[in-house]
Amino acid sequence: MSVELLTLAFERPPIDWHAFAPEITLLCVGVLITLVDIVFLERARPYTAALAGLGVLATLIPILTLALDGADRTMFGGAYVVDDFALVTKAIFLLAGYVVILLSTNYVAEGDYWENEYYGLLLASLMGMVMMASSRDLISIFVALELLSIPAYLMVAWRKRDLRSNEAGLKYYLMGVFASAVMLYGMSLLFGVAGSTQLSHIADALVGAGPSVAVITMGIVFVVAGFAFKVSAAPFHTWAPDVYVGAPTPVTAFLAVASKAAGFVALLQLVYVGFYARPEVFEPLVWILAAVSMTVGNLIALRQTDLVRLMAYSGIAQTGFIIAPLAVAGHSGAIGDQALSAVVTYLAVYAAMNLGAFAVIITLARRSGSTEIGSFSGAFHYAPAMTVAMTIFFGSLAGIPPLGGWFAKFEVFRVLATAGEPWGYALAVIAAVNAVIALYYYAAVLLKMWAEDAPEGDHRPVPFTPSLTSALVICGGVTLLFGVVPQVVARFTDVSLLALGG
Amino acid sequence: MTVLAALQGFDSLMSGDTVVAQNIAFGILALVMIVAALRMVTTSNVVHAALYLVIVLAGVSGIFILLGAEFVGVTQVLVYIGAIVVLFLFGIMLTRGALGEDEEADTEKRRMAVLVGVLVLVVTGGAVLDSFGDAAVNRAAPSLTAEIGDTIFSQYIVPFEAVSVLLLAALIGAIVVARKD
Repeated sequence: MSVELLTLAFERPPIDWHAFAPEITLLCVGVLITLVDIVFLERARPYTAALAGLGVLATLIPILTLALDGADRTMFGGAYVVDDFALVTKAIFLLAGYVVILLSTNYVAEGDYWENEYYGLLLASLMGMVMMASSRDLISIFVALELLSIPAYLMVAWRKRDLRSNEAGLKYYLMGVFASAVMLYGMSLLFGVAGSTQLSHIADALVGAGPSVAVITMGIVFVVAGFAFKVSAAPFHTWAPDVYVGAPTPVTAFLAVASKAAGFVALLQLVYVGFYARPEVFEPLVWILAAVSMTVGNLIALRQTDLVRLMAYSGIAQTGFIIAPLAVAGHSGAIGDQALSAVVTYLAVYAAMNLGAFAVIITLARRSGSTEIGSFSGAFHYAPAMTVAMTIFFGSLAGIPPLGGWFAKFEVFRVLATAGEPWGYALAVIAAVNAVIALYYYAAVLLKMWAEDAPEGDHRPVPFTPSLTSALVICGGVTLLFGVVPQVVARFTDVSLLALGG
Repeated sequence: MTVLAALQGFDSLMSGDTVVAQNIAFGILALVMIVAALRMVTTSNVVHAALYLVIVLAGVSGIFILLGAEFVGVTQVLVYIGAIVVLFLFGIMLTRGALGEDEEADTEKRRMAVLVGVLVLVVTGGAVLDSFGDAAVNRAAPSLTAEIGDTIFSQYIVPFEAVSVLLLAALIGAIVVARKD
C-alpha cells in the first residue's frame, strides 16, 4: 500500500463548531490569561482573577444558546454528545467554577500563591469537566478525567511552604493515579468484550453477551470503583480528609464540589449509556457504596474538631446520598429517569450549599487564621450575617425544609420508595437514620456559633470582601430557590440519558 | 517436517491454520517474561528489579508485534522502557535509597503481597479464560499505524486536543511546584 493512497483515505471529520463553543471559549480564556501574564508580568496580577471569572461566565453564553436551540447534537458517531444532560451539568460545573474563583480571589492574592498559574490550572480543570459532560466514549471519559484531575493534584500542593499541603498533594496524586490504573484496567476488559470504546457499542455488546460473563462483571466493578475514588465514596474515601485539610481552602471547595460532581457525571453516563443492561452488577455495587459512605462518613464526622475535616466526612456522607438513587436505577426505564433527575438535582443543590459553607469558613478563617471548630464559636456576636448564612447552608446540608437540601433528599427518598424493591426500602431506612445523625453534628457547630461566646472575648469584625460576599449571595440564593420553589428549578434538572442509550 | 506430520494433533500446525513461528516465539517470550517477573519481585536489589522490569516490558512489546500491533509495540518500548524505567532508575539514584541490598524487607508485608498477587492472578486469569476461552485473534487485519494516525485526527480529535491542554497544564503546574521561590 503506497503512502499516497493512505493520505488520500483521510477525511477531515465534520465538526459542529456551535456544539464545541463552550470548550473553545474556555480554552481561549486559558490561553489569554497565560499570554497576558507573559506580556504584562506583574502589572496584570490584579486583573487575573477577574479575567478568569469573566471567562467562565462568557462560557455560559454558548451553553445558553445551545440550550435555546434545543436540538441534541451527536458527533463522532455518538462518542461526543451535547444534550440536555450535558448542558445542565456543564452549567453546574461552570457556575461552581465561577464561585470557586470568587472564593480564591483574596486567598490566592494574599498568600502570593502564583496567581496566574493558579487560574490557568483551574480553567484547565474546568475544561476537563465540561468535556466530561459530553463524553460518551471510554477514551474521552478517561482523558477528561485526567484533564480535570492532574491540575487538581497540583493545586492541592499549591501552598508550597506548608508541609501539610505537600503531603496532601502527594497523597491525592498517588491515590488518584492508583484509582485511574484500576479504572483503566476495567475499561480495557470492557473494550475487550465490545471491541469498541464507545459507550453505546458497549451497551449493545452487554445486551448481546450471555447472562453472566465474568469479564464484564469485573470490568464494571473496576470502572465503578475507580470513579468511587473520585467522588470519595467509602471504602475509597481515605484520601479525602487529609487532602481537604492540607489543600488551600478554595481548592478544597473545588475538590469537594466540582471535581466530585464531575466524577458523578462520568458515573451516570457510564451506568446509563453503557452498563444499563447489567443492573444485577451495578445495583448491588452502588447499594454497598451508598450505605457504607453514608454510615462511615457520618459516624466519623461526629468526632471531628476541625471544621474542614468535618466537611470532608460530611462530603463522604453526602456522596452516599447522591449515589443512592442509582441503586434502583435499573428497575425500569421510568425509575431510571427519575433516579437520574434526582442525582442531577442533588448535585446542583449540593454544589450551592457546600460552596456556600466553604465561603463562610474561608471568610471567618481569614479573621482567626484557624479552622478549628472552637475558633468559630461566638461568631453571632461579631458576624451575625455570616452566622445566618452558615445556618442556611448547614441546615440545607442536614436536609431541613424549606432549604434546597431538603428537596434534594426528598427526591432521593421518593425514587428509592417508588421502585418498590425491598433493598430500595432498606437503603431509604439507612439514609433516614443517617440524616438524623448528620443533623447532630451540623447542629453542634451551629449551636457553638449562635450560643457560645467568642474565644478570649475577641469581637473584632470580620473583614468582608466583595468577591466572598457575591459568592455567598449566589450560593445562598440557589440554596433557597431549590427549597422554596423546587418545581420551577426541577424543570432544569429533569433530564434523561436513556433515550440515547437505548 | 515429516516427523511432525506423522504425529497426531499436529496437523493443524502443518495446514496453515496456525502460524508456527509466531506460536514458538510467543512461548519463548512468555517463558522469559515469567522468569524475569519472578526475579523482579524476589531480587533484593532495587536496581536489578528495575532492570528485570525492562525485560518483562520488552516481552510485552514483542507480543504486541507478534499480534500485528506494531504501533502499540513500538509505543510500549518508547514509553515504558524509554521513559518510565529510566525514570525509576533516576528516582532510585537521586533519592539515594537502598541502592544495593535491602535487608529490611518485611516478611509480614511480603506475605500480604504474595497473597494479593495470587488473588489478582486467580481472579483476572479465571475471568479472562472464562470469557474469552479459545477465541482467536483476527490475523487477517493487522492494525496499521497509518490507520491509527487517521483515527486520532478524526474520531478521537477531541481527546487528542484535550491531551495537549493537559500536557501544557501539567507542565506549568510542575514548574510552579518544583521551582524554588
